[in-house]
Amino acid sequence: MLPVTLTVNGERQQLLAEPRTHLADLLREKLNLTGTHLGCEQGVCGACTVLIDGVPQRSCISYAVDCDGAEITTIEGFDTDPTMAKLREEFSAHHALQCGFCTPGMLVTARDIVLRLGEVPEARVREELSGNICRCTGYVGIVGAVCATARGCAPRDSAAPIAATALAAAAVAAPVETAAPRAAQPLTGGTSLTETIAIAAPPDQVWDAMGDLPALAACLPGAEITEVDGEAIKGRMRVALGPIKVAFAGTGTVSLDAATRSGVLRGAGRDGGTGSSAEGELRFALTPSATGTDVAITLQWRLTGALAQFGRSGLVADLVRRLAAQFAANLQARLAGQAPPAAPAALNLFQLLWAALKARFGR
Amino acid sequence: MKPAAFDYARAATIPEALAALRDGARPLAGGQSLGPMLNLRLARPGKLVDIKRAEGMRAVALSATSARLGAALTHAEIEDGRIEDVTRGLLPHVARGIAYRAVRNRGTLGGSLCHADPAADWVTTMAGLGATMIARGPAGERAIAAEAFMLGAFTHALAEDEMLAAVEIPRLSPAARWGYAKINRKTGEFAMAIGMAVLDGPLARVVAGAVEGPPALLPRAAAALLAGETPDLDAELAERLPHLPPPERKLRAVALRRALAMLSEAR
Repeated sequence: MLPVTLTVNGERQQLLAEPRTHLADLLREKLNLTGTHLGCEQGVCGACTVLIDGVPQRSCISYAVDCDGAEITTIEGFDTDPTMAKLREEFSAHHALQCGFCTPGMLVTARDIVLRLGEVPEARVREELSGNICRCTGYVGIVGAVCATARGCAPRDSAAPIAATALAAAAVAAPVETAAPRAAQPLTGGTSLTETIAIAAPPDQVWDAMGDLPALAACLPGAEITEVDGEAIKGRMRVALGPIKVAFAGTGTVSLDAATRSGVLRGAGRDGGTGSSAEGELRFALTPSATGTDVAITLQWRLTGALAQFGRSGLVADLVRRLAAQFAANLQARLAGQAPPAAPAALNLFQLLWAALKARFGR
Repeated sequence: MKPAAFDYARAATIPEALAALRDGARPLAGGQSLGPMLNLRLARPGKLVDIKRAEGMRAVALSATSARLGAALTHAEIEDGRIEDVTRGLLPHVARGIAYRAVRNRGTLGGSLCHADPAADWVTTMAGLGATMIARGPAGERAIAAEAFMLGAFTHALAEDEMLAAVEIPRLSPAARWGYAKINRKTGEFAMAIGMAVLDGPLARVVAGAVEGPPALLPRAAAALLAGETPDLDAELAERLPHLPPPERKLRAVALRRALAMLSEAR
């Protein structure tokens, strides 16, 4: 618990809050200001919109401790506000609410539109209202009420400019090398991709080197095989996607076919933290080439649960693409008996794995 | 829908923020992208350090050739023109299209850049402007070209013990023209496609954004623009974005054509 001092609807409040408590919960649970509604709790629906230091903000994605020292105005704090009085009248006249769930946030946003922009075309009002969702009215009444309130109003002057100082010298960044575009990769349904890497060694030698499964898995950043029992494997896959960090623990199978010099690793696992599941398959096949061996690697995956719902499929595809490229580079380095190339900052876990790799192969 | 427990501290200065990062804290600015991830428990940091109030994080500095904007300035402050605009209206135009006003009032320029969502506006805008990211770390200041800043979805070039302190934006000349087109199904949504073009004397830049990875600069299209020719966008997009299925590439081409059409509009 951390101390928080807020001025709520003109009254100074000294409270204790856990850092994870968002402002809306503090207002509702500690101060009984239940006019602030919680809909989506991810900043999309707008029901929780309140004024923080005079401007509308989402109280569900603003943490109470992060608002320490701020002035808060909730829907309960506008009793004497003339603009809000007019809005209340017009909302009533235009039938701008039915169940009322969105209304507190809608009114806070509407008041900001009227005061900040004054009378503006209906299309602009609709654009400005797009961050507040109403499932009853179809918006016609709400837009009508806001337009009626704003009729004849002039826009408020914007707040004072932020003072600037003189900038002595411009920063100079290292020039960017334009990376050569990567060759087209067949992507079936956006959930698989193929990389082919060329190794300067004969297929037999490459096949032998790839027989060491834990070492092979270690070439994939974040992957670790902890147990091998015949065809059954147990392992972990850790992935960092920005602030999201997941660790899938699970089991899988591996089958290697020496005749065709190809193999398949399959695995499925669950991340307890996000309640997400992943299934993945890594196929590889060796073919002789003029310079040695071509290793074709296909990665296929499927995500379910919270992570899949949150992540747009393209973002995961981008991550897997980077993982596959890193896997190819690491495998190539390992087969060539070289140290793997320097890790890009992209794969935070790589530092960890690099240490593991060094421990394994560096002796 | 309630975040997992985390610790919180407020940094009064950048060195204080850097010390917290060294101790394993993760930076919090406006929290308008991190907040939903915390509430959904997708992100579970042990400790957050508020860097938006650190001294200098909201500073603005101007020169004849560029503007240096503190990373904690908000989208709304840029939208309202409270910061002298050196881009002939481009930055306020882009800012107004980010999410919703209530989000813009808290969300920050630097936070959005570091969140590095491919579909967000500033990553594409800064790459298109040829801006420079000013990182602060234990060794001091480091400049990173905007187009090299984002490495992939949600991934940027900063080390764990570095933070973004400011963005330096080159000043456009009075004769400069720009186009910025965003395709989304609903106002304020993350973009399905972004197209951006800047033409300023001998300088031309064309960039495709919201491409599920870092924004893609299209140098051939830019050269065609300078030569007064019509760029072959489809061919260059196919080359630069081989991972996107053709309909997805088409969408980026449409956004780019809209941006190019805006170049002829008077401002």
